[in-house]
Amino acid sequence: MNDYLLDIENLQVQYVTDDGTVSAVNGIDIKLQKGKTLGLVGETGAGKTTTAMSILRLVPHPPGKIIGGTIRLDDTDIFNISEKEMERMRGNIVSMIFQDPMTALNPVITVGDQIAEAIMIHQKLNQEKANKKAEEMLELVGIPGNRRNDYPHQFSGGMKQRVIIAIALSCSPKLLIADEPTTALDVTIQAQVLELMKELKTKYEMSMILITHDLGVVAEVCDDVAIMYAGRIVEKGSLQDIFLTTKHPYTEGLFNSIPNIDNRKAELKPIKGLMSDPYNLPTGCSFADRCDYVMPICREKSPQKIFFSENHYTECHLYATDIDFKLGRHQE
Amino acid sequence: MYKYIFRRIAMMIPVMIGVTFLVFFIINLTPGDAASMILGDGATEESIRALREEMGLNDPVIVQYGRYMTNLLKGDLGTSYSTGKTVVGEIGQRFPNTFKLTISAIIISIIISIPIGIISATKQYSIFDSVGMIFALVGVSMPSFWTGLILIIAFSLNFRWFPSGGMDGLKSLVLPAFTLAIASTASITRTTRSSMLEVVRQDYINTAKAKGVSKNIVIRKHALKNALIPAITVIGLEFGILLGGAVLTETVFSWPGIGRLMVESIQRKDTPMVLGCIIVFALSFSIVNLIIDILYAYIDPRIRANYR
Repeated sequence: MNDYLLDIENLQVQYVTDDGTVSAVNGIDIKLQKGKTLGLVGETGAGKTTTAMSILRLVPHPPGKIIGGTIRLDDTDIFNISEKEMERMRGNIVSMIFQDPMTALNPVITVGDQIAEAIMIHQKLNQEKANKKAEEMLELVGIPGNRRNDYPHQFSGGMKQRVIIAIALSCSPKLLIADEPTTALDVTIQAQVLELMKELKTKYEMSMILITHDLGVVAEVCDDVAIMYAGRIVEKGSLQDIFLTTKHPYTEGLFNSIPNIDNRKAELKPIKGLMSDPYNLPTGCSFADRCDYVMPICREKSPQKIFFSENHYTECHLYATDIDFKLGRHQE
Repeated sequence: MYKYIFRRIAMMIPVMIGVTFLVFFIINLTPGDAASMILGDGATEESIRALREEMGLNDPVIVQYGRYMTNLLKGDLGTSYSTGKTVVGEIGQRFPNTFKLTISAIIISIIISIPIGIISATKQYSIFDSVGMIFALVGVSMPSFWTGLILIIAFSLNFRWFPSGGMDGLKSLVLPAFTLAIASTASITRTTRSSMLEVVRQDYINTAKAKGVSKNIVIRKHALKNALIPAITVIGLEFGILLGGAVLTETVFSWPGIGRLMVESIQRKDTPMVLGCIIVFALSFSIVNLIIDILYAYIDPRIRANYR
């Protein structure tokens, strides 16, 4: 018994295809306390969604394969239970909001039925009571309950995402994984949906993993932040740690790519180059080719975790020799 | 929805006019004279001329067509040149046989193909999938007259389980129905498999799984309904083709259906009978299409919304 709701250790996931093997997740550790929100940040292809799917044990197989590590969710080792037991956890202990609300709802089933389905499975209610509950869930996310019998195509994108949130929360899960829940929505709707999620998270005392590449969203919602790059967590810490005492050059690069509202003339500084080929990750640090601070050792040895506090660590050689090294953005 | 159905039925009228017009003229362009054919080789010039006059064959084609259509509206499709029976009566006798054969064939195909298609898709690249797809390929490739003959050799000559031809009770229906079913089973299986494969990769399937819905129910409830639209399209097409195109199978099994009737009539240049058969084909094809469109609307609310 520990006080972590989710405890991922050394998770490794690969996709084996005819063209080669993609190492999507290469040994990551995530610990998440009850009621906390973790932001999982990284660019496309960093392994964020694969990590999320692993927690639900829904990595498509083939081609995906979990080759190592453990995930303990609510004190259950999910790699050691039957499919039936896993089905009982999905939607009930952990549920997920997918990226694109346009495609995440079944077009031929009414939204009410889609919400009621999970309720009927996990709470063993009959159709009538489940429908009632589905209506309440719709009201909760700000959609009139009488629209229960409408089909997804009759809703706008923002409303669809609300329906998806209603589905995900219908059985009051302990962990909600939101995979870029606002990426496909326009900015005003984004704010509404985020606000709603924050509010419901507090109401239901859920833990949440928020996958995003939007640091603004992270600042808004998260307690802790993990920065993912090429299947590894390169830096993890509290919101303050990451935003105020950034350690990893990649994290710094992410911040430099955000427009500065106080100095609109400042030029954006994108991270140069592309992410390393996932079929063929380099030896040493995967970020070495794009890093402004690269040293010879970076191309030879994978960096180890270096801790700055109990909660804040990074995987970077810069700090192996000089723990007080300061990145450019802190050197004013 | 009812308005839509009504509109669709009304739209069948110009289709029928177009079909009859085309066929009427094409038949008139073919060489050979109906009057001399009816009277046979021994007829005199005189009597042939008299019959042509009597049948109105000397009038311009457009006038003949007008006369034909007027009669059609009265439900009169004329009389057969070769047998002297009314076309309506003859078709009325033959069409139910073809319909019986076709509907049995299509039901057999659906029962076999949909489950195989689903299992092949959900267990892609498994042994089951490979075997299923090989059978589908073989099924598509075998011409029906050949399949028919093989089935006759195997099941009526060797095993003596079923009669080799004729229409005599349920037993005689088995072999021709299976012959027809084999080819359509194959194409329906392939369509079901490919549309299923596409659907199971959709995001909403993940949403359903993430809710804790069990694998079987995900397939049955969430995937199948979405995958059915392409399958239904193919089923409808196959059904339409079978209704008119069971000619070879009907011939192999001496099945007294409308396909055979038409081929015989074409050989005898029996214009009213050919026209009658084609009208029935066109009509049944249109009706099958209408039923398919209604089924689409039943399955997919997005299509239903467009039908208003």
